[in-house]
Amino acid sequence: MKAPKLLFTCLLMAALSATTLPAMADVTLPSVDSKYVSVQEINPTRDAGYVVGDKLERTIILTVKKPYELIQESLPIVGYEHRYRGQVSGIELADIQVAEESFSDRSVHTIHLVYQVFKSGRVAKPAILRGEVVKLRHLGKTEVCELRIPSFNFRTSPLSVYGEVNLKNEMSPLIPPFKLDTRNEQQVFKVAAGFLSLSLLGLLYILGARTWLPRMGGAFAKAYRKLGKLPDNEAGLQQAIHLVHNAIQQVAGHSVFANSVAQFVQEKPAYLAAQPEIERFFQLSRQVFFDAKTPLALGMPAKQWLRTFCRHMRDCERGLTPDLERASKSGVK
Amino acid sequence: MHDHQLADWRAQALKLESEVNKVVVGQENPVRLITIAVFARGHVLLEGDVGVGKTTLLRAFTRGIGGGYQRIEGTIDLMPNDLVYHTYLGEDGKPHVSPGPLLMSGQDLSIFFFNEINRARPQVHSLMLRVMAERTLTAFNKEHYFPHMLVFADRNQVEKEETFDIPSAARDRFMMEIPIVVPPAHDIMESLIFDTRFHDVDQLITNVEADVLKFDQLNSFAKVIQENISASPALRQYALNLWLATKDPTAYGVKVSNVDMKRLVLSGASPRGMGMLLRAARVNAWLHERDAVVPEDIHAVLHETIAHRLVFSPVYEMRRTEIAREMLSGIVNAVAAP
Repeated sequence: MKAPKLLFTCLLMAALSATTLPAMADVTLPSVDSKYVSVQEINPTRDAGYVVGDKLERTIILTVKKPYELIQESLPIVGYEHRYRGQVSGIELADIQVAEESFSDRSVHTIHLVYQVFKSGRVAKPAILRGEVVKLRHLGKTEVCELRIPSFNFRTSPLSVYGEVNLKNEMSPLIPPFKLDTRNEQQVFKVAAGFLSLSLLGLLYILGARTWLPRMGGAFAKAYRKLGKLPDNEAGLQQAIHLVHNAIQQVAGHSVFANSVAQFVQEKPAYLAAQPEIERFFQLSRQVFFDAKTPLALGMPAKQWLRTFCRHMRDCERGLTPDLERASKSGVK
Repeated sequence: MHDHQLADWRAQALKLESEVNKVVVGQENPVRLITIAVFARGHVLLEGDVGVGKTTLLRAFTRGIGGGYQRIEGTIDLMPNDLVYHTYLGEDGKPHVSPGPLLMSGQDLSIFFFNEINRARPQVHSLMLRVMAERTLTAFNKEHYFPHMLVFADRNQVEKEETFDIPSAARDRFMMEIPIVVPPAHDIMESLIFDTRFHDVDQLITNVEADVLKFDQLNSFAKVIQENISASPALRQYALNLWLATKDPTAYGVKVSNVDMKRLVLSGASPRGMGMLLRAARVNAWLHERDAVVPEDIHAVLHETIAHRLVFSPVYEMRRTEIAREMLSGIVNAVAAP
């Protein structure tokens, strides 16, 4: 019968100790006399604008004069989170570094604390690095006192996620604007956009065959675009010459023949620079359509020469001066 | 073989032109057109004022070509038999018959010049048209042949009194109507007045080298030209379009100032006219040392071979020359080749 009684007694004592130990921990200890301690704080430089995930670093330099000494075990531990009325504060101790210097009459403890914010909200809210309570022991006595390190107040800001915030509902003068300075980026963007626009316009101007830009969509521009789509055979060459004939006729307003090229360039001086090429074109046309024995030396395949010629005529059409010299050099190659 | 023949004859043709141009100054284009007509074997209607050198031009050509040259003046009382024979009383008091201008040179007749043809009666026209078409004539119970004959006729367009307009069917027999005008260059005009060598036509004509060509070989050589100068499919299509445009110019957007185009053309070019156009174009290509006809060859002879064949509404006949020229220029501008 003695053994069951003993077991019951042990279980009862264990249960009582489990309930009474926390109560013992919450026991309010007397504050240490301020003449024995001095506290120096090095707090974060700003006290607002912290969002979830940010870290705040704080250094406490605690000087404890003898006969008191700091109970190291009373220092907060990593992961510790204050609670208020059972609710976590959302500020968690992420790291703690302690350095101690002992002197004959005092000891200096440099406590480096790193807190991390784990709270967020839709508005800016006040938060606090609560003053940590550390315990001091009187040497030679059983007396234990406590010291409350001053707290640090700051404010957390909301971290808005796209789609989760309705500005109409959330707009409040109390919410500070959270903007980055994007002037440099905007300027770069504008320059890049302008450059891109000009490049696209230039590209359209060169390759385009529409009429919505000045001097675009001319007869030779259209012919030039169509030339590239024609097959590379005899029928394609004939069609290509047809296209260029039509373009010349369209520009002149009437049919142009080999013996009226001079009249054509007189009527359309923009094409004066290309007169030798126009005359060669008519020779090519004569060779292909009327008289195969017409002497002609183009220096390159007829279709290729025709495209070059049509591009030069398109340049003339746009008021540009065709690079005939370069074309003739490339033709020789 | 033909290449050499073509080249040799070309050299002779150009020499003939050169010889004629020595005595008839400022008429290079008419000379070229007559050369073309000679080698295309086509009759020519000359249009021009009096005294501009038509007779001199034809005599110069006749001397260069060789063969006989005959001329007759068109008058209102001219009868068809006046072209064939003359009747007169001889010194013996008996009536005599001698050959008229058509028969006088026999088969060697090379150029027959009918001056002011529109003053002759339609009966005379009728005879001439038959001779032009068939180059034969029945007279004195005998068939007379003129295989080498080309007819050059002149019509006076200034005076309309006592004239008989040549009907369109008659005009169509002529390959070309060539305008002969006074050269506009002042130095040439001055030369024509003051250079005494132009005053004696007989003497002037002797400056042309005689018999540059062989008139009796022209027919056969003309055939060689027509057979050896080709026309590509594109050229054929172009000629066809030109023909269609003469029939319906409005379909090709051709306009003539102050003319209702819908009422203008009663009849376009005839098939014979288009055939003559291509014959002349081939000769032009040959003269330019080409083996094939190009559109420019057609242009070179288009006005002269087609204008006189067009039949206009009577209301526009008074302006025929001007309208025909403007309409054909419009057709050349409107029809593209290829």
